Amino acid sequence: MQPSRARLFKEYKEVQKEKAADPDIQLVCDESNIFKWNALIKGPSETPYEGGVFQLAFSVPEQYPLQPPQVRFLTKIFHPNVHFKTGEICLDILKNAWSPAWTLQSVCRAIIALMAHPEADSPLNCDSGNLLRSGDIRGYQAMARMYTRLAAMPKKG
Amino acid sequence: MELSAASQGTNPCPICLGPIVQESYLDTCFHKFCYNCIVQWTKVVASKQSLLPSSVKCPLCKRENYSLIRGFDGTSFERLYVNQNFGNGFFLTKAHKCRLQCYHTEPGIANAAFDVSRYWKSRKYLQSNQWLQSWLKREIQALAQDEDIEIIVHHILGVFDCFLRRNEQKHVKTPEIIREEFKALVSDAARPFIAARTNHFVDEMELFLASGLTIEAYDQVYAEYLGWNNSSASNIAAAVERSNENTPVAEGSNESTTIIPDLSIFYEYYIGSD
Repeated sequence: MQPSRARLFKEYKEVQKEKAADPDIQLVCDESNIFKWNALIKGPSETPYEGGVFQLAFSVPEQYPLQPPQVRFLTKIFHPNVHFKTGEICLDILKNAWSPAWTLQSVCRAIIALMAHPEADSPLNCDSGNLLRSGDIRGYQAMARMYTRLAAMPKKG
Repeated sequence: MELSAASQGTNPCPICLGPIVQESYLDTCFHKFCYNCIVQWTKVVASKQSLLPSSVKCPLCKRENYSLIRGFDGTSFERLYVNQNFGNGFFLTKAHKCRLQCYHTEPGIANAAFDVSRYWKSRKYLQSNQWLQSWLKREIQALAQDEDIEIIVHHILGVFDCFLRRNEQKHVKTPEIIREEFKALVSDAARPFIAARTNHFVDEMELFLASGLTIEAYDQVYAEYLGWNNSSASNIAAAVERSNENTPVAEGSNESTTIIPDLSIFYEYYIGSD
């Protein structure tokens, strides 16, 4: 068996065993393809994403874990480091700073941390980045909260 | 085995998440990985740079490490430098390590298991030993910590064959003289390659030849004498003892190995009956 498959299966088992371990992350593997995963993460509290549930899509390369998984937001999100249209994420550990010791679960945790601590200096979403860089925290938060309500919260009624 | 399995259960390799295979440590942070996993990762890191890097960041703690330590057997270990691309990666198997362990114990610990003097007196060396080549290969690999030692094995085998052919005629020399000749020839052949361990190696080779056992059986008897596995090998050791008891001369020759210069005619009876 390829090392990537063996390792992904170990991660799958770990996720199944420790479902309750991290209530903010729900990782699901596509049972017909172990290289495709989905995750639901809760927006961190005291951020404009609080109360929202965001869906992530993982595409794992054959060389995993020597190469990082590709992750993007399926749920629309207004965040300086997430591409507004494609959901692409700008996060160092998914690029140069990748280490094979990361798991899909810990990548989810890193993404939650990124949601709470946006990096306005390396924006994929320039509108969001500019709001933050110009010091308009309220403007950024209002936009982010609006999109959280629109896209990441279950519709009521 | 039980011990390592238990520790691996709680501490899997951070890269493959499986039990650690060929435990290897980074030299600064001493984080532990499978040998293959950390080498693969280092190659990935190196492939992203134009020059061969001299260090690799630990996947766990990001500290810079310059070498990899592996194969610690309680006495010695191997160190592989990142900037030397980890050499060609020969790894000592468990059997190799067991043999090395024998060299870290006092010589002659397993002598009681096999009747060396009988081997010389009854001229058992004239029977070819089909396992000698494989045994030599493993032994030299362990001692030289190198996989590619075929030529050394060939050399030693050649010297040994030469020695046998010269001693095919009977009653010319005493067993003691033949034995000394064997020791001198083999140590001359082996010394350039294994240096300080040569004398011990010659004793080990003599012991293996005298045992007349397959490699597996020999290892088990040896392990028994070193007290490694007290239960599993006991029947084999018992079998060896029984076979020794079948030779009435064994007791006498054990006590006084230097007397009676030539009883080979008498001993030949036992070669025939074997």
